Amino acid sequence: MSKIKLLWILTALVFVLTACAQPAPVQQPAPAAAKATEAPKAADTPKAAATPAALSAGPLKDVPRSKTLNLAWSISSPIGVTNPWASPGYTHQEANAMMWEGLSYYLIYANKELPWLAETMTYSKPDFTELTIKVRKDAKWSDGAALTAKDVAFTFEGQMKNEKLPYHAQFKTFVQEVKMPDDFTVVVSFKIPAPRFKFEVLTLKFDTGIPIVPAHILSKQADVNAFLGGLDMPHSGPYNTVVWDQNQKILDLREDWWAIKAGLVAVPDVKRIVMTNIGGQVGQNMDTVAQRVVNNEYDATLDMRSAVIGNILKQNAKVTTHTGNKPPYGYLDWWPNSLWVNTQLAPYDDARVRRAMSLVIDRNKLNDMVYEGAKVSTIYPFPLYPNLVKFTELPAMKALVDKYLPAKFDPAESTKLMTEAGFAKNSAGLWAKGTQTVNATIQGFEGIHSDIVPILVEMLRQGGFDANVNFGTDAYNNMADGKPGLYMFGHGASLIDPAATLDLYNGRYSAAIGTTAGSNRFSRYKNPEYDKIVDAMAPLSSDDPKFTDLAIKAMEIYWRDVLDIPIIQWLHRIPYNQTYWTNWPTEANLGVGCNGAFWHHTGMLVITSLKGVQK
Amino acid sequence: MSLRKVIGRLLFLILVIWAASTITFFIPRLSPRNPIRERFAELARIGGFSPQDLETIVASYNTKFGLDKPLIQQYFDYVSSIARFDLGVSLNKYPKTVIDLIMESLPWTIGLLLITTILSFVIGNLLGAAAAWPRAPGWLRSIATPFVLLMGVPPVLMGVLLLFFIGFRLKLLPLGSAYSTGLVPDWTSLSFIWDVIKHQIMPAMALILGSVGGWVLSMRGMGVTIQGEDYVLFAEHKGLGGYAIFKDYYLRNALLPQVTGLALALGTVVTSNIIVESMFGLPGLGRVLSQAIQSNDFLVIYGIVLFITIAVATLMVLVELFYPLLDPRIRQN
Repeated sequence: MSKIKLLWILTALVFVLTACAQPAPVQQPAPAAAKATEAPKAADTPKAAATPAALSAGPLKDVPRSKTLNLAWSISSPIGVTNPWASPGYTHQEANAMMWEGLSYYLIYANKELPWLAETMTYSKPDFTELTIKVRKDAKWSDGAALTAKDVAFTFEGQMKNEKLPYHAQFKTFVQEVKMPDDFTVVVSFKIPAPRFKFEVLTLKFDTGIPIVPAHILSKQADVNAFLGGLDMPHSGPYNTVVWDQNQKILDLREDWWAIKAGLVAVPDVKRIVMTNIGGQVGQNMDTVAQRVVNNEYDATLDMRSAVIGNILKQNAKVTTHTGNKPPYGYLDWWPNSLWVNTQLAPYDDARVRRAMSLVIDRNKLNDMVYEGAKVSTIYPFPLYPNLVKFTELPAMKALVDKYLPAKFDPAESTKLMTEAGFAKNSAGLWAKGTQTVNATIQGFEGIHSDIVPILVEMLRQGGFDANVNFGTDAYNNMADGKPGLYMFGHGASLIDPAATLDLYNGRYSAAIGTTAGSNRFSRYKNPEYDKIVDAMAPLSSDDPKFTDLAIKAMEIYWRDVLDIPIIQWLHRIPYNQTYWTNWPTEANLGVGCNGAFWHHTGMLVITSLKGVQK
Repeated sequence: MSLRKVIGRLLFLILVIWAASTITFFIPRLSPRNPIRERFAELARIGGFSPQDLETIVASYNTKFGLDKPLIQQYFDYVSSIARFDLGVSLNKYPKTVIDLIMESLPWTIGLLLITTILSFVIGNLLGAAAAWPRAPGWLRSIATPFVLLMGVPPVLMGVLLLFFIGFRLKLLPLGSAYSTGLVPDWTSLSFIWDVIKHQIMPAMALILGSVGGWVLSMRGMGVTIQGEDYVLFAEHKGLGGYAIFKDYYLRNALLPQVTGLALALGTVVTSNIIVESMFGLPGLGRVLSQAIQSNDFLVIYGIVLFITIAVATLMVLVELFYPLLDPRIRQN
């Protein structure tokens, strides 16, 4: 038999044998015998649910453009994933925030809490070890079932037991027990004082907080993480998803939304939301998106770079921004960006090197070149929202700024520090120890950093650091893995006091080299002195004077040790097209009082308060 | 062709698929990137999901999908699955299956890229043949020149120019997406079909304008060679009409290598036009592949590459089987 024939026979044999082999282990779900209101644990072996190519709730009624809000976003979740507990597919950002609501919302510009599904949420013990939640009696699911304490307790218990849910760690750390004294009351007991749990975990704002899920639906699922939700999943929010295909999601207003009946809001003008899938990763293809805003095809989009939004404003007078047609065109987001480093890795483990890098960054020039003179550069790792501005204006904080001069641009001092740290400039004018230069490659994201990172690279190179740009798909993983270089990334943490941001540097979260830094805590800083301070802050309310003293001490360490290099406050430069819709939240008209990002949890409040130009 | 040869070709096809799937299996696995982690990383980056204990979650998914098993065991599981036509689930878009992702996007790819490739082929070959045919009128021969000039312009740049001038400035055609914002797909509605066609014109132009030139040049080269062949001279001296010579002696003989080129071109339409699909926001196979590569969603990469491999290999076998119909000399041999 020839060799070729033998090869054919062997190939055929391999296929026959493998076809007869046991199937690959897409494991089947463990049988679940969940009680009606018992939150099921994540099944260890879920099976894939049916996934449609497109979903439609049937023939749609005609809704004119004047009643339709057109949004642009890169939709990445699988079609049909509307269940907040579906993992890893669910995100609130792709219009799902229009379906799911929280116990309360926080309105950043009004600086107040807006009770929503809960009438009240109050700490019932002075040491913050017990929280009592009174659920609204008129809240309903879209299938007509009452939203009660059972749903709230089910949501909390799910987070406690199901390790795949995003707030599992917080619930595991803090929550001792969840009780339901009656149908509309939930009492949460904490293992340790948890003064920020109500705000950080139970209140929806920006991208954080948990929505309440329906116990009568999810308790029947064998695997809550594999259950997609689809178009029919009962929800409490104002819009039903009625069409979802690869091109778009369409959501229609449901006039029987409980909040209208309860008198919390008027019937929204926006009858239909169309979220077009612009493809790619968030931030890509924005030039074409900008052209479509100018052509009045889109009413709002992801935030834009300054040059792009400037061009949009020039070409369509109906488009405005948070600051109208004046720079910086955007509002303050909760994501101030620093150049992070892995503080466990040489040479970034030397505070002098970190300080030397900061000293070659000319923050005034950044303001001029990227933000048309607006003061966007920063020395703080938290956003300058009203309460935090008050904190920065304390005399003790001002004294610290004078002492450490974190905004200082001084290449000569940088040179001195690098020399002290044992570096010398090589023939290329770059700092080096032996032959090893200081790797200052900035890991970042092209869609959002393309305007500023190249300038930072040039500043660092002029200061003698071996800087470069990496906007590749591995950038985020390089940050999480603690690879050499600088990481341009934000601090999504503090909103009303500095505790959450300062806790980012707590040694408790300092991942060892070779492991992944969770929750974007890239600095891997470890300092018992610092940990003692932030741990002492944790049980204190932010209006406690001791809390403020401790926060100032922690800030001193932040600047003294240069835990990261603060660069800019982050702006959301969202184009608001007023051809069809007005009452966008702007500097001149804060509207409902929250930020204008439609993809945030508070996007629902923004959209339901828009006013149609044509009645 | 004898039955023995046909069976031989089919067995060879299976061998090609096995070899391709084996190579495709191992290449993405050289990267340490984990698609589950990539999905969470993407969500964390944009703020959609940022758990404290990411690694615990990733580890539990690795166990679920068998990614914690030895690579060789994963390979045998994979070969076993594809032998049963089961391409598995997308690790990045779980619980979506790979077949689902391919089938959702395939119609858009076929609708645009297949049609544009065939159109380019037909237009390019006719113009190339005309350019080389001495009896063709001067105006017809000159049409080919601009296409040859445009050959150097990549479809991406062509797309940008078309978007800016035709879509944005002149507002003659829509700026992107598969159909108009807010329109609900209804393939029984002529107005919807017309809307889809309008959205495909610019991407189709971006692809055709740059690719026709290639066919023109190769066909022209073939045509010039064939003009001097004995059988063409014989046909001329026999007094056959110009059209008959053009169609039966000239075009038909010049077309053979072009058909092979077409089969190869059809196999590469997906990969070569990823950026055009992304630029125009079209939900085709190229966009799915691009996203899968970005997130190292290797089961999707395997699935699409396997699909392309099967498509190319099958087309090549079909071309080989059809050659005798096109060229009697092969039949006689």
